[in-house]
Amino acid sequence: MPLSCYFKFTIVQCLILIIGTTNILAQTKYEISGYVKDFSNGESLIGATVRIVGTQKAVQTNTYGYFSISTNNINDSIVVSYIGYQSAYLAAVFSTNKKLSIELKPFSISTDEIVIKGQKSNNQITSTNMSMVEIDAEKLKSLPVILGEQDVLKAITLLPGIKSGGEAGTGFYVRGGGPDQNLILMDEAVVYNPSHLFGFLSVFNSDAVKNIEIIKGGMPANYGGRLSSILNVSMREGNNKKFQSSGGVGLIASRFTVEGPLKKGKSSFLLSGRRTYIDVLAKPFIPSSLSGTGYYFYDLNVKTNIQLDEKNKLFFSGYFGRDILNFKSPRNKDVFFNFGWGNSTATLRWNHLFNQKLFLNTSLIYNRYDLFNDFTFGNNGFNVRSGVEDINLKMDFNYYTHSKHAFKFGYNYTFHQFQPGILSGSIGTTNLNQQVNTQYAHEFAAFISDEWKLSQRFSMNIGIRAVAFDLVGPYTKNLYDNDTGLPSNQSIQYKTGESIAFYPALEPRASATYLLNESSSLKASFTQTYQFLHLATTSGAQFPVDLWVPSSEKVKPQLAYQYAIGYYRNFLNDELEASIETYYKPMYNQIEFKPGAQLFFNQNLENEMIFGNGLSYGIEFLLRKPSGRLNGWIGYTWSRSTRQFDQLNQGQSYFYRYDRTHDMSLTMSYQINKKWTANFVFVFGTGNAVTLPSGRYAYRFGYNQTENKPEFVFVDVYDKINAYRLPAYHRADLSFTYIRKKTEKWESSWNFSIYNLYNRANPYFIYFYPDIEIGQVKAYMVYLFPILPSVQWNFKF
Amino acid sequence: MRVIAFLFFVMACISCEKEIDIAVSNVEQQYVVEASINQQFPTMNYVFITKTIDYFKPEFSLNGLTDAKVAITEGSIVGNDTLYNGTVFPFNTVSDSLLPGIYVNPLFEGKLNTPYQLNIELKDGSKISGNTYIGKPPLIDSLVYWSTITSKDTACFFWMQWQDGPEQNNYRMAVYNGFDSILLGWGAAQRFYTFDDQLINNTKRPFRSFRPYAYGDTISIYLSSIGRKELQFWQSFGTAVNNNGPFASPVAVKSNIKGAMGSFTGYAIEHKKFIIK
Repeated sequence: MPLSCYFKFTIVQCLILIIGTTNILAQTKYEISGYVKDFSNGESLIGATVRIVGTQKAVQTNTYGYFSISTNNINDSIVVSYIGYQSAYLAAVFSTNKKLSIELKPFSISTDEIVIKGQKSNNQITSTNMSMVEIDAEKLKSLPVILGEQDVLKAITLLPGIKSGGEAGTGFYVRGGGPDQNLILMDEAVVYNPSHLFGFLSVFNSDAVKNIEIIKGGMPANYGGRLSSILNVSMREGNNKKFQSSGGVGLIASRFTVEGPLKKGKSSFLLSGRRTYIDVLAKPFIPSSLSGTGYYFYDLNVKTNIQLDEKNKLFFSGYFGRDILNFKSPRNKDVFFNFGWGNSTATLRWNHLFNQKLFLNTSLIYNRYDLFNDFTFGNNGFNVRSGVEDINLKMDFNYYTHSKHAFKFGYNYTFHQFQPGILSGSIGTTNLNQQVNTQYAHEFAAFISDEWKLSQRFSMNIGIRAVAFDLVGPYTKNLYDNDTGLPSNQSIQYKTGESIAFYPALEPRASATYLLNESSSLKASFTQTYQFLHLATTSGAQFPVDLWVPSSEKVKPQLAYQYAIGYYRNFLNDELEASIETYYKPMYNQIEFKPGAQLFFNQNLENEMIFGNGLSYGIEFLLRKPSGRLNGWIGYTWSRSTRQFDQLNQGQSYFYRYDRTHDMSLTMSYQINKKWTANFVFVFGTGNAVTLPSGRYAYRFGYNQTENKPEFVFVDVYDKINAYRLPAYHRADLSFTYIRKKTEKWESSWNFSIYNLYNRANPYFIYFYPDIEIGQVKAYMVYLFPILPSVQWNFKF
Repeated sequence: MRVIAFLFFVMACISCEKEIDIAVSNVEQQYVVEASINQQFPTMNYVFITKTIDYFKPEFSLNGLTDAKVAITEGSIVGNDTLYNGTVFPFNTVSDSLLPGIYVNPLFEGKLNTPYQLNIELKDGSKISGNTYIGKPPLIDSLVYWSTITSKDTACFFWMQWQDGPEQNNYRMAVYNGFDSILLGWGAAQRFYTFDDQLINNTKRPFRSFRPYAYGDTISIYLSSIGRKELQFWQSFGTAVNNNGPFASPVAVKSNIKGAMGSFTGYAIEHKKFIIK
C-alpha cells in the first residue's frame, strides 16, 4: 500500500474510532464547561485544574483557559485551583448543563498575615504528561539574573534535562539535542532566532509573557517539527477590567507596558516595548573617532482579543524585534557598516465553541527571520540579505467526550520560504546582483490523540501525527563536481510547485500513567519525531548569521526516538513534588559541516554537509515545592550525549559539545516579610567537552629581510573531537525584592541582585599562545562575569 | 547617570583570563609540505618540508627536514591527459641554518599554462607527491590610491580592478608593505586574500583596501591565479589560523598533495608596486 494511502486510511480509521467511541460511551447527564480566569485582570489561566470533589476526575484548562467536565451525580461539587490563586468551590451546580466563567483571586501579600499559598495538587501524579514543565512567568521575575534582566530562556535552563550553552548565550540544549532541535513558539509563531545581544538576552520581554511550557519528551501529537523539545511561550492578553501601565528600569534596558479593556470584561489589548540603552550609556566612553558606532536592540509586543459572542473569540498577537550594530571606521570616514537581524511574527486566532464538548482554535500565523548587512564606502556599497519566512494555517480541536476519552485532533500546514542570500549593490563600475537560489517547501501535519482513562489507576495518552515535507519549485538546482565543488555548468529546472524532494512519515506518540496510590505513580512515554529544517552552523551554538536550510534530496530529515520512564511521588500532602525520570534517545540523520566549511553565500552548501547519528540518555531527579512561603526546586541530571559521523573522529563516537555528565540546580524563594523576598540560585555542571590541538606545525614560510629571520605561523593539528573537558561550571546568585509601595493605584518595587556571589571564574573558552620569546606554549582560560551586582526598579500603576 | 554608566562598563568589561595547566595527549608526527612556484619571481619558487610537533613542545623554529630528495617536473597537456614527462628540476636545501627545510632551485622558471609535479623522497623512504598548474595571470588594468585625513593622522587606501573572464577563476593575493627586493617565501607579506569569482564573474573585478597605509609606504601587490584545490587549501588554512574565540571549531586544513599535509601551489602572478607620496 502506498504510504500516502496509508495515511488516509489511518486518519479515517481514527475519526471512525472517535465517533464510534463517543456514541457508545457518552452517557453523561450533567456537563459543566467554561473558562477559568484571573480575577484581577481577566486573563485566562492555562493549566488550571477543575476537579470533581472527592474523585480523581479532573481536567485542566487548555491554552485559552477552557475546560469541560461532566458527572452523573447531581450532588457533586467542583473545585477549581491554580498555583498562587485561591481555589474556587462550586457546590451542587449540576442541576443543568452549565457554562461558567470562573475567576480565581490571586493570593495577596497585602493582608496582615503573610500567606503565600498555592492549591495543593496531585496533577503531576495523575496526569499522563511527563517530561513537561509549566512555569508561570511571574515566578521567573524574582529569580536573580545577570544585570537584573529577567529572561525566560535562562530560567528554563535551571530545570533538569535542560542545559545552558553558556553565560553569554540563550541557546539551550534539551536531553542531548542541539539548539536547532528546539521548537520555540511565541503565541504559536515560530521564533527562529530567540536571541538579542548576540545571545546575551532572549527576545522574550518578561512583561509580555504569561506562561511558559517546556516539553522535553513525551511530546503530545499536536506538537512536532523538532527532535528535542517544544518551548511554548504564551503572551499575556491584557487587563480587560481596567487600564494599567507597568514597566521597569534596569542597567542595560528598560521596558514599558500599557494594557486595558477595549470593552470591559470582554476584550482587551496589550502593548509592550523594550529597548536597550547600551548605545546611549556607551556614548560618553566611545572616542570621537568611533562616533556613529554602536549597538542597540528593541522589541515590541502587541496583543488584543475580542469576545465576539459566547461562542467566538478572536485574538491577534504580534512581535517585532531588531538588533542593530553600526560600525563607522575611525580611519576611513567613508566606510560604514550596518548589521541587523530580527524576528517578526503575527498570529491571528479564532476560538470557536461548537458546543460544550467541542472546542476549536484556528490560527493563521506569519513569521519571518531577517538578517541584513549593509556595507557602504563612499559612493559605493553593497548589501546582503537573508532570511526564512513561514505562513502557517492550523486547526486544533479539543473534543471532550465526557466519558473515558478526551480527543485532540487537527492539522497544520506551513509554507516555508528560505532565502539563503541576496547580494546587491555596486563597487566601482561593477554592479553586484547575485543570489543563492531561494527554496520553497510545504510542510503538512495531521494529528489525533486520545487521553484515555482505562481504569481508576491506569490512563494513557495515545496519538499519531502524520507529517509530510515537500521541497518544491520554482528552483534551479545547479550541479557541482563532487571532487572540486566547482559548478559543472549544468542545472535542473523545477517548475513552480514541482516536487524536488518529498518525505512523508508517521510519528506515533504514547504515554501512560499507572497510579500506585494517591501520591505516587509510574509513567512511561514514547515519542518519534522528524525534523525537516536544519540550522547551518559550524560552532555548535546559534548565531544571527546562521542559516536555516530545508531537507532536500541529499539532506534527509532528522529522526529521533525517545523512550522515557518515570516515578512520581508527592509528599507532605502534595506540598512537595518529586520525580525521577530516565530517558534514552537515539537520533539519526544528524548534520554537521565539514571542518572549515564555508557557509556564507555558498551555492553548494549541501556539499559541505556530512551526516551521522547521535545518542543521548540520562536520568533526571526533581524535587519541587511549588508554593508556600519557601518555594523552589532542586534538580539533578546525569546524562550522556554522543555523536558518530563516519568522516569525523576516525569514524568513532565522540561526546557532543554540550554533553554534561552532572548537572545540578537549586532555586529557592523565601518570603521574609510583607516587604522583602529573598531568592537564591545555585548551579553546578560538568565542564563542556572541547577539542584541543594535539600538535602544530610551522607554515606559510617567508623571510623577513628587515629583521633577518624567517616568518611563519603555527597551524594546529587536531586528533580527537571533544576529548577534553573544560573545568566544571558552578555559580551562586542571590537577589532581594523589596516592595516599596503597593496600593490599588501604584506599585513600586526594587530588585537587588548579586550574580556569581562567590566570584567563581567559570570557563568560557580556552586558548593557547605559543610565546616564542620565552619558549613556552601557554594555555589561558577566559571567563566572562565576575561577581556582578545589579539593581532594577519595577513599577505598575 | 554617568557614574552608573561608568560602573556598568567597568563591570561588564572585566571579563578576564587566567593561565591554566592542561595536558593534551601527543599524536604521531606527520609530514607537512609547503611548495610554491610561479612564472615571474625565481626566489619565490621553493619547497618547505617540516613535521608536526607535540603541541606543548618548546620548539618554535621551522623544524624543517633537510635530508629529502626534492624534484619538480614540468608537464604538458595532451588532449584530456596531463603528462609529467618534461624537464626535471631538482631542488636543494638552502645552506643557511636559519632556513632549515627550505629547498630551492635558482634555475627553475615557471611557465604559464603549464602543469607541474612535485616529488619528494624522504630519508625514511616515505614518498610525497603533488600536482599543480600555473595558469594565466590576471591583468590589473587600473590602480589608484588616495588619502583621508583623520583626527590623528593621514590614512591612505588603494583601489584596483582587473577583468575576470567567463571561466571559473580562483585568486590569491599577497600585499607587502616595505620591501620585496629579494623575496623568499610568501610569509613576509602583511596581508593575504584568497577568493574566487562566485559572486563577481565575467566582469570587472574590483578590490579596495580597507586597512590604511601611510605616506611613504612602498606597497607591493601580488595578485595570482591559482587552481581550485589550491584555493580550497588556502581558504581552509586562513580559517585555521584565524580560528579563535569561544565558538571556534577545529579546522582540518585541506590538502592537495599525497603522503603529507600541505599544498603545492602554482601562482600565475601579476605584480604591481607603488610608493604612496
